[in-house]
Amino acid sequence: MKTALEIENLVKRFGGLVATDNLSFHIEQGQSVGLIGPNGAGKTTVFAQIMGEHLQTSGTIRLYGKDIGSDSTPERIRKGVSRTYQVPRPFTDMTVLENIRVGQMPNSIWQMIKSKPQYEKEVELALSVGFSKTDLHKPPGELSMGDLRKLEMARTIATGSSVMLLDEVFAGLTVAEIAQIGALIQQMHKDGMTFLIVSHDLKALEPLVDSVIAINYGAKIAEGNFNDVMDNDNVRSSYLGAA
Amino acid sequence: MNLRWYHFALWALFILVMALIPELVSKGTLRIIIFANFLAIFAISWDVLSGRTGYISFGHPFLIGIGAYTSAILTKRFDVPIEYAIPAAVLMTMVGGIIVFLPALRIKGSYFALVTLAFMELIYQLVQVVRPDLTGGTRGMSGIETLTRGAVNGYYLSASLMVVVALSMWLLMRTQLGTALSAIGMNEESVRGSGLSTTRLKLFAFLTSAFVAGLGGAFYVHYLGSIAPRALFDINFLFTIIVAALIGGASTIIGPVIGAFFLTFLLEYLRPYLPGAERYFIYGMIALVLYMYEPKGLIQLFSNAWNSLFSRRESAGNQNSDQAGKQSDAL
Ligand SMILES: Nc1ncnc2c1ncn2[C@@H]1O[C@H](COP(=O)(O)OP(=O)(O)O)[C@@H](O)[C@H]1O
Ligand SMILES: [Mg+2]
Repeated sequence: MKTALEIENLVKRFGGLVATDNLSFHIEQGQSVGLIGPNGAGKTTVFAQIMGEHLQTSGTIRLYGKDIGSDSTPERIRKGVSRTYQVPRPFTDMTVLENIRVGQMPNSIWQMIKSKPQYEKEVELALSVGFSKTDLHKPPGELSMGDLRKLEMARTIATGSSVMLLDEVFAGLTVAEIAQIGALIQQMHKDGMTFLIVSHDLKALEPLVDSVIAINYGAKIAEGNFNDVMDNDNVRSSYLGAA
Repeated sequence: MNLRWYHFALWALFILVMALIPELVSKGTLRIIIFANFLAIFAISWDVLSGRTGYISFGHPFLIGIGAYTSAILTKRFDVPIEYAIPAAVLMTMVGGIIVFLPALRIKGSYFALVTLAFMELIYQLVQVVRPDLTGGTRGMSGIETLTRGAVNGYYLSASLMVVVALSMWLLMRTQLGTALSAIGMNEESVRGSGLSTTRLKLFAFLTSAFVAGLGGAFYVHYLGSIAPRALFDINFLFTIIVAALIGGASTIIGPVIGAFFLTFLLEYLRPYLPGAERYFIYGMIALVLYMYEPKGLIQLFSNAWNSLFSRRESAGNQNSDQAGKQSDAL
């Protein structure tokens, strides 16, 4: 099996605060891994560094064996890794389909002009994340939080990346929506997608992941299969301490 | 690109009306419309950049000025034939576009607008101080070679240029490129997060905008036969361009054309009552009221009327189209 994503000795300092503390882990291609930890543990900051939105203080980030640590965000996405955001960030004056279109577009101005939008693919993607046909032409302003997360998922999938980082995918969703998004992730996992998933909802996370990494204060405190990590004393106390 | 029958119909109608205008109006009115044509070109140029990406340019007189001065200086001082001077002027303006683009790599919002405003002020000072033997200094230049004689020919030249610019920009902005540029205006970070290089997109928008501004500026100077820095690098001229784009309907190409005609005639009709700069105050008020009533501009008002006329037909035809939510595309 090939290693998809490899993080080595990653450190991120915000002034005096160490948000990522010498973190190392790797994800094999096709694996689905959970990243857990209490609020403020540094999960989102790890995502931001993998995507190049924050530059790491030190450490290495490799995608399929290649160092991507100095690439721009769009370059990293083109190389195969993309993420969703804790707070959805849709294009407000566009329809659901147009939002997805932006994710699907080629990153070449000439190709953008020359090629037509792939309308059928946009629709297919929208329906696959659970939109109904009547939602396709709605602007984000008319969508529920659950729909906005679906839109975020669809636009991220549309970029064609093979490694997806999902940040708090279940926040603000109804039980039915959690089941729907969960089923989608499982299906994509089966089809070969590599995942790194952050979620507070551990029950919803469990069926989606092959293994879990727990962090606290930016440092790894446990790693392994879901139940073992849950039983780990450090993990328990980190959650208790935050609560 | 999703062109529909009414797109062809509306463009054909538009071109027909533009072609017939000299038969219908007086010479005096024709001269006013010539100005409206050039204003429309400048407003389209502004719209392609600022209406789409949200990078509000206060520097368009700077770009237009580069186009106008380059062509004027080349033809008058160096006897360069006009057919070479104009392309050279457009190229120079695109270089200017890159200069305006540089701050956009780092700053956004009102800071960007202010920096571009500084460019306008800078070039105003430069043409007065640096080589006034070339630029004509404060007085500007006159006796510049003109492309046409008489109002009718001037009209046809400006109208053709405006229609060609409008149609080509409209087609260009209907592609996925237009969608990507609009997306930058809504959420630039999300565009990057969708894997698109916003730097490249923005550079393209600046170059396209500069191309149109330079073209308009060069033709304008060879229509007028003179150039007056005080009128060109003037805050009222700048705001006329921006207001034309905004009240017409930003990010639509045709909106700015409508806005340019509306504003030009508004200013003309106010002239007998308010000969001075107070006119700009009045039109500012009118523009503001209009803008508050319909932020998407005059084009939206027309579009609403169109849709209520054809609503039954359209709602049936749009079922399979992704344009249903964006009725402003009807025009
Ligand atoms: N841009 C930033 N500047 C300064 N501190 C930050 C920044 N982003 C995150 N932090 C801090 O880093 C820590 C980790 O934050 P975050 O990664 O958002 O945690 P999580 O996603 O696990 O809840 C927190 O203490 C947070 O306040
Ligand atoms: Mg977070």
